[in-house]
Amino acid sequence: MDRRQFIVGAGALAGVAGSRAAQAADPVVIGVVYPLTGNGAAVGLDAKAAYEVAANIINNTHAPIGVAMGQGGGLSGLGGARINLVFADSQNDPQKARAEAERLITQEKAVAIVGSYTSATGATISQVTERYEVPYVSADNSSPSLNQRGLKWFFRTGPHDEMFTKGMFDFLADIGKKTGRPAKTVALFYEDSIFGTDSSNVQRKLAAAAGMQVVADIRYRASSPSLSTEAQKLKAANADVLLPSSYTSDAILILKAMNEIGYKPKAILAQAAGFQESAFMQGAGALAEGAMSRSSFAGDAEKLRPAVPIVNALYKAHNNKDMNDNTSREITALLVLADAINRAGSAKPEEIRKALVATNIPGSQTIMPWAGVKFDETGQNTLCNPVIQQVFDGVYKTVWPFDLAAKEAVWNVGK
Amino acid sequence: MTLETVMQVALGGLLMGLIYALVAAGLSLIFGLMDVVNFAHGEMMMLAMYAVFVIWSMTGLDPLLQLPIVAAVLFGLGVAVYRGMIGRALSVQFNRGMVQIFVTFGLAIFIRGAAQFVWGGEFRAVTNTWLSDRSLNMGGVYLPLPQLAASLVCLAAFAGLLAISRTEFGKALEATREDREAVALLGIDRDHIFAMGWGLGAGAVGIAGVMLAGFYYVGPNVGASFALIAYVTVALGGFGSMTGALVAGVLIGEIEAITAAVLEPSLKQIGVFAVYLAVLLFRPRGLFGKL
Amino acid sequence: MDNSILRRRRHELIVGAVLLVAVALLPLPIKDVYTQNLIIITLLFAGLAQAWNILGGYCGQISLGHALYFGMGSYVSTLLYVQAGLPPSVGIFFGGAIGGLAALLVGWPCFRLSGHYYAIATVVVGEIGYLLFLNWDYVGGATGVYIPIAKPSLLNLQFGKDKLPYHFLVLAFAAATWLAAWLIEGSRWGYSWRAVKDDVVAARSLGVNIFSSKMAAAAISGFFTGLGGAIYGLYVGYIDPDSVMAGHFSILIALPAVLGGVGTLWGPILGAALLIPLKELSSSFLGGSGRGVDLMLYGAMIVIVALARPQGLVSLFGRRRDGSA
Repeated sequence: MDRRQFIVGAGALAGVAGSRAAQAADPVVIGVVYPLTGNGAAVGLDAKAAYEVAANIINNTHAPIGVAMGQGGGLSGLGGARINLVFADSQNDPQKARAEAERLITQEKAVAIVGSYTSATGATISQVTERYEVPYVSADNSSPSLNQRGLKWFFRTGPHDEMFTKGMFDFLADIGKKTGRPAKTVALFYEDSIFGTDSSNVQRKLAAAAGMQVVADIRYRASSPSLSTEAQKLKAANADVLLPSSYTSDAILILKAMNEIGYKPKAILAQAAGFQESAFMQGAGALAEGAMSRSSFAGDAEKLRPAVPIVNALYKAHNNKDMNDNTSREITALLVLADAINRAGSAKPEEIRKALVATNIPGSQTIMPWAGVKFDETGQNTLCNPVIQQVFDGVYKTVWPFDLAAKEAVWNVGK
Repeated sequence: MTLETVMQVALGGLLMGLIYALVAAGLSLIFGLMDVVNFAHGEMMMLAMYAVFVIWSMTGLDPLLQLPIVAAVLFGLGVAVYRGMIGRALSVQFNRGMVQIFVTFGLAIFIRGAAQFVWGGEFRAVTNTWLSDRSLNMGGVYLPLPQLAASLVCLAAFAGLLAISRTEFGKALEATREDREAVALLGIDRDHIFAMGWGLGAGAVGIAGVMLAGFYYVGPNVGASFALIAYVTVALGGFGSMTGALVAGVLIGEIEAITAAVLEPSLKQIGVFAVYLAVLLFRPRGLFGKL
Repeated sequence: MDNSILRRRRHELIVGAVLLVAVALLPLPIKDVYTQNLIIITLLFAGLAQAWNILGGYCGQISLGHALYFGMGSYVSTLLYVQAGLPPSVGIFFGGAIGGLAALLVGWPCFRLSGHYYAIATVVVGEIGYLLFLNWDYVGGATGVYIPIAKPSLLNLQFGKDKLPYHFLVLAFAAATWLAAWLIEGSRWGYSWRAVKDDVVAARSLGVNIFSSKMAAAAISGFFTGLGGAIYGLYVGYIDPDSVMAGHFSILIALPAVLGGVGTLWGPILGAALLIPLKELSSSFLGGSGRGVDLMLYGAMIVIVALARPQGLVSLFGRRRDGSA
């Protein structure tokens, strides 16, 4: 054969050999631990859908999406290897979460774990991952204590309750200055769980620092049959701003309970959780109008983050609802992890850990309104500033920071 | 604390207490009849609430109109549970007490799993009914209409149970309760009575569930939240006593509300439990207990 | 005691010893961490169920609030370690002691309640304990208590990733509770309780002091339950009221004993060996879909076993061995 044919032939062979190498690249197994039955099942199932969408974005061939790992086609740094998700049910039980994380690492050969919604399960999972020297990426555990335990393998992509609450009080200061009607009194309303306790502790501290008076400090029993007495206490205190830390069912109930006794707080600023769930919107209906919540996610920031509507469409097609505070963080966590694995060019946990430590993703490469993703020495992302949203016609719209706002906040304090 | 606050709290306690009373009534009825504590009582109520939600979302029928339908469905469910399971549990030779506890307990877990299987883990709500989110303002003290309707229905249900107790069937129920063994001599089919008793008990809690769906959310674990209060109500009132269920229900509703108002609301159940234990010291069989 | 009973009791000891050795050797072929964990949890519940059985089965007092003793044992041992530096190898026994003490305090007013009233009272006491711990900041409240990861040591009962030491620890625990039950079965207390269950009036006329023997049963039961709780806290590394004191845990402790056979020596062991793996495996492999199928399976199984074998699974292996007809 002549030289040209040889080169073409060699090239063809190389192409075949190359693609066979890509097909031969082993999938990278990632363990995902969430409550898939029991009390947290609604959130856990949404999370499962979110991770599946993120995995599709990473693995499938599609038009490039403007986020890190959005080009599809697998992990290019590992010859196109695919991400393989293995899901496990924690049932919101720390013992179960621990056992499942261990099973995923030892039986399923997961090279990293992602999770886990509640902070109690996050605590035991991260202890396991620390022992087995495998990275744990906390997508949505918000307790500030989690990254304060000197763990080497713990990484949290999203904000924790102190950062969230600081955002809330920054907003209160800003809106007070802007309208000339600052809030002077707050009411704390929190459930008797880790989430409620952590949230209220920070809120108490920051309220004192901001010179605001706490006129009601109400810890309530989660999933109570009735919240009417609690609502009456809030009505009697009549704070400028109500700061609830509640899950979905209690969020619906407290709004109904306050309405039943003819009380509408001048401002509600929620610590997300239940207030950001679609079931809450459906259950509370018109009563949710005007309520505000902190959020790590701005679903309406399309101008700033053009990838948001694209990813949202994918999620909606998969799970029949829009992305929210939780699911957006979950998608982001997997993309960040995949980005690290890609840069590491290896599926070895120690290499992945080093790559995670070196993570430096600009905000424009994410679907979040954050400045970026960069972990400090405790494994906490320090660039994930939260936003504040308000309900307009049953939909949350971003109202703060003002330069990100889709709509101007409706502020009734002092009116 | 202002007078207005006190009255509002007391009213809220009363309204909730009547609902506790109705949930407890069905439980007490079943126990009084055959010594069985139905640990799946809360889950039956949960099913009633789901029934309301499903019928409402398909036909838009207001929960109040659904009362007879759902009550009948739950009645049938109660009879079915008896015939399918409890009847068998009663005829065992050993550990009858424990077998019943754990059979109904296993049933409760099964129903909870089944509810999640059929309807998913999401919370649902019945909204925009005739009464939802409406309140009557009585000079500063508000009376929420869904809870008012629930209380009236509960009282009506108690009246109904009282009326039934005056009938032939009711007398047969009473006789069976008094002396299980002897009634066969009177030609009373004990098995049939038991099945009817279960039907009534389930029907009663079904009615409570329908009214609850008017202002509470619906989810697979809703039964668990009410279950514990229901058992304490029955035990406080006295197993087997309808009067006891009513009095205890209202008492517990009030104690819960007052504890929440005076102490930290997260401790409100402790107030109820403490009172319950205190009563037990003096009346080991509850306030009106005969068994 | 006549010869046949002595022979039976010796037979039981031999079977127990053989079983002990067999289970002790299990980790040799089984290297898979998940299965090792499953065995540890099963053994722990076997011990807890046997402890419950001492009060609930032999003595006939159906307690549905045993999580209180479990949780208190857990908290006492953990807090003594985290706050006072007391090594857990000693602390777990303090946990047991508190569990026993709590059981005595609960038993004293509650034992005069009959049947269902007693059961509900124990549930209520358990709930009060749960709510108190949930709202008590000193013990960590809802936030719970972490056990810091320390270097592996026998003193601190921490062993890194190695499951083997825990296996033996929990096996020792289960064996101890079994032995306690065996001793009680053959003791004067054991006989008097059987007498009481059969005929209260006659037993009293024989001079049996029922109340003090019930208190003894409560103390022993509470001690072992608290001990188990302390060990559990160490193993999981984190405790909070929801995981060690909640009501559902009380049921979980009693269930293996009831389904296995109350008041029998092997019932709780058999019940735990069936129930725990079934629950864990179905949740691990069916729970992932989030459809509640594992719950349905678990619930259905409880109903079926309770109906089909009301005297417990032990009845599959021959006559009841507690001497009753």
